[in-house]
Amino acid sequence: MSKPISRRQLLQWSGLSSASLLLNGCRLNLGSSEVGQAFEPLNQATQALLLTQKPVPEFPVSEIEPDKLLINTFDQTPQLDPAKYRLQIEGEVNHPMQLSLTDLQALPLTSMVIQHVCVEGWAAIVQWGGVRLHELLRLAQPKSNARYVYFKSADGYYESWDLASATHPQTLMAYQKNGQPLSADNGAPLRLASPIKLGYKQSKWVTQIVLTNQLMPTKGYWEDQGYEWFGGL
Amino acid sequence: MTSATPAKRPKSPPLPTQALLAKIFHWANLISLFVMLFSGLQIYNANPVFGGRGGWHFPSFLTLGGWLGGGRGWHFAAMWFYALNLLWYGLYVLISRRWEKRFASGNDVKALQVSQNAKRKNYALHRLVYTAILPILVLSIASGLAMYKPASFHWLSSLFINWQTLRTVHFIAVPIIILFTFIHSLLALRVGSIRLIKSMFF
Repeated sequence: MSKPISRRQLLQWSGLSSASLLLNGCRLNLGSSEVGQAFEPLNQATQALLLTQKPVPEFPVSEIEPDKLLINTFDQTPQLDPAKYRLQIEGEVNHPMQLSLTDLQALPLTSMVIQHVCVEGWAAIVQWGGVRLHELLRLAQPKSNARYVYFKSADGYYESWDLASATHPQTLMAYQKNGQPLSADNGAPLRLASPIKLGYKQSKWVTQIVLTNQLMPTKGYWEDQGYEWFGGL
Repeated sequence: MTSATPAKRPKSPPLPTQALLAKIFHWANLISLFVMLFSGLQIYNANPVFGGRGGWHFPSFLTLGGWLGGGRGWHFAAMWFYALNLLWYGLYVLISRRWEKRFASGNDVKALQVSQNAKRKNYALHRLVYTAILPILVLSIASGLAMYKPASFHWLSSLFINWQTLRTVHFIAVPIIILFTFIHSLLALRVGSIRLIKSMFF
């Protein structure tokens, strides 16, 4: 899921954390973001080192867990008209593109049964079907200086990935879930799906893919609140 | 303690001494483990292992980090100290052959079964308990790694059957370690009184 907690929950937590800050926090919670930031480079380097282009072993269809995939959004669920929907690919590419859902569905369909892992701690075995992002990028032809891939969503959510993770053979722009067309709650008409990144990296309702040569100060909705950027699995 | 301490009463048994490396391990393990534990409870609260979002949550005074992101920050910082500390100590125990003398063996099991000497039995139990915690610490690292990087370490994650079992195994380390801390302290007191405990810390 792209957005692990609701706004209400976040407010509750911020209330709780301010309360605990007053109660015991001066001792315990202060410095948490500094600790996270201090170790993020080491943790990120380790995760990048562990990343390979080898596919992660998949699960049999019989192990799909339809009820376990929870719905998380940071704001509202946009209702996009599939007929009017367009995916834009731009930035550091030689061939900026605009693709309709029909264009996307004409490209080779990849299906995978993988484990979706949420930062909150739950996981669900899900089947995703869609186009390899690698295939889309092959068509758009990234320039040699492209390093990062930004994803912008119709609800205002934004994410950024390293190019190596984006071109992993199991990183899909998915339009199917568990054999059915994707529902609006799950990100229709098009969402990111991958077994190698945490759920908050897997944007729903993706409308724009922008390749960049550097990471901008805004890295992603949750990253800008303090989650780690790489989020590798 | 130190041999420089003058023995006031020559008849009292010599003060227990611990290897400096054992003391360093013990301190680093204690501190990093408790950071892991309290930040782990913070992470637990984001989606309780038992009952999911509707499940029982730990009170905030038992959690470290303030929110999920903060808890993860502490957890994935302390993991390096915790895991690397256990790694070098494991190598030290093997290379120095410390495991032959300082850890439980078949003799301790036998003493527990047949010995009539209460002191020997206490000592055997103490050794068995602190030896048994080591595989539990290793298991907490293995289950943690399997959850932190289930794609990279797919072979490791698949050993735990499914995600819920994996989360449960990882979480079980918490009550075991808390229980161990109490039993281990009590047994140490019984075996060597406060002098033995002091020898491990200072």
